Amino acid sequence: MPAQDTEAIILKTFPLGEADRLVSFLSRSSGRMRGVAAGARKLKNRYGSTLELLAHVQMEYIERETRDLVRIQQCDLLDSFHAAQSEYSLATGLALVSEIVEILLPEREPAEAMFRLVLLTAREIERRKEWRIPAGYFVFWAVKLAGWLPPLDRCGKCGAQLGSGDGYHASWSPGQLCRDCRHPGMRAISLPAREVAPLFARKGLEKLSEAEAPGGLVGELRDACLDWIEHHTERKLITRNLLETA
Amino acid sequence: MPDFAAPVERLIDELKHLPGIGQKTAQRLAFYLLRIPAEDALGLAEAIRNAKEKIRACSICHNITDNDPCIYCTGANRNKRCICVVEEAHNIMAIEKTRTYSGMYHVLGGALSPLQGRGPEQLFIKSLIERLKGGAVEEIIVATNPTAEGEATAVYLSKLLKPLGVKVTRIGVGIPVGADLEYADEVTMLKAMEGRREL
Ligand SMILES: [Zn+2]
Ligand SMILES: [Zn+2]
Repeated sequence: MPAQDTEAIILKTFPLGEADRLVSFLSRSSGRMRGVAAGARKLKNRYGSTLELLAHVQMEYIERETRDLVRIQQCDLLDSFHAAQSEYSLATGLALVSEIVEILLPEREPAEAMFRLVLLTAREIERRKEWRIPAGYFVFWAVKLAGWLPPLDRCGKCGAQLGSGDGYHASWSPGQLCRDCRHPGMRAISLPAREVAPLFARKGLEKLSEAEAPGGLVGELRDACLDWIEHHTERKLITRNLLETA
Repeated sequence: MPDFAAPVERLIDELKHLPGIGQKTAQRLAFYLLRIPAEDALGLAEAIRNAKEKIRACSICHNITDNDPCIYCTGANRNKRCICVVEEAHNIMAIEKTRTYSGMYHVLGGALSPLQGRGPEQLFIKSLIERLKGGAVEEIIVATNPTAEGEATAVYLSKLLKPLGVKVTRIGVGIPVGADLEYADEVTMLKAMEGRREL
């Protein structure tokens, strides 16, 4: 099998066997894949710091006929997010992105839009030294790209316009409900927080300022979007609990 | 998959829980254990039982030990003014092998790893701060792994500990001994440059 050359983003790695690493990555051309980096845990290894969270690399790998794991031959750093990776709160933002990509994308289906979104998010976390706006933007777009964004101006059950009232969401409910239809335990999302959504939809992340998208409102929208992700994937996000203290 | 007798199946299953052991290796180990003399196999079982029953975490530094507090916490010749912070108990052995460090240790129980749900609350950080309260400790050496997670943990600890008036240092990170600069990636080289010292 000939070696493949692709741009990739490292999503996650696990120790494998004595000295190897199992690497989950997002290939620009082929989507989410998994591969083995042989000897990656040895002191002297040819991967260096290229296998860290959301590292953007040029990767050479070889398909193996019998298994779905590819063999990762070489990685060269294109973008290092070293500053973000080595700051706990920023790393929590990167980890949320990685975890969502991991549960959202099926294996080996090209996902160019998601690739660009992840890269943009990681670059902005690194550049801003702040994760709330980039991660909020990412989560919103992840839900939108997946087709799970409910209409934000009305109730998903009775159809009533929410106007200036709160909408209500929960991880066990697909959409957003009004005050009358809501169930106990649902959390509120305010009108100003819902208005961040169209802003995210039309404006590039690089151009968004804290003044337009204040942390608290972005947080409310993020929380609703995370509920919809958890609902549709039927998974609990591990990193979510750490966001409050990050 | 062939059906094994239930006890064999169970043994394979238990072995599969060990890190780095898959179905094939578990089968090979299981059949090896069935082949060797009974006293050898039971010796292994007994060693596991004995270790699990006698070994516990040191109540001061969280090292694994059969005597609590452990030998490093009670050693008369150990320097009580310095604490070396490591991720896991087995990291202590790597440092002891150098025979140049005679201070105390503190085992965190891992590194900060949001992807694995490990934040500051999940590590032994509070007990480390407790140990500083007497004022006897002058230096904390952060010897977490030179990975991004280990680095994030080191940065987090330094921000937390420095205001308490203790000197916080980080072990040298960069080019491994015997390696060639040509093969160092930019982050490794950056770390090596940052950690340079005067000759
Ligand atoms: Zn309604
Ligand atoms: Zn101890």
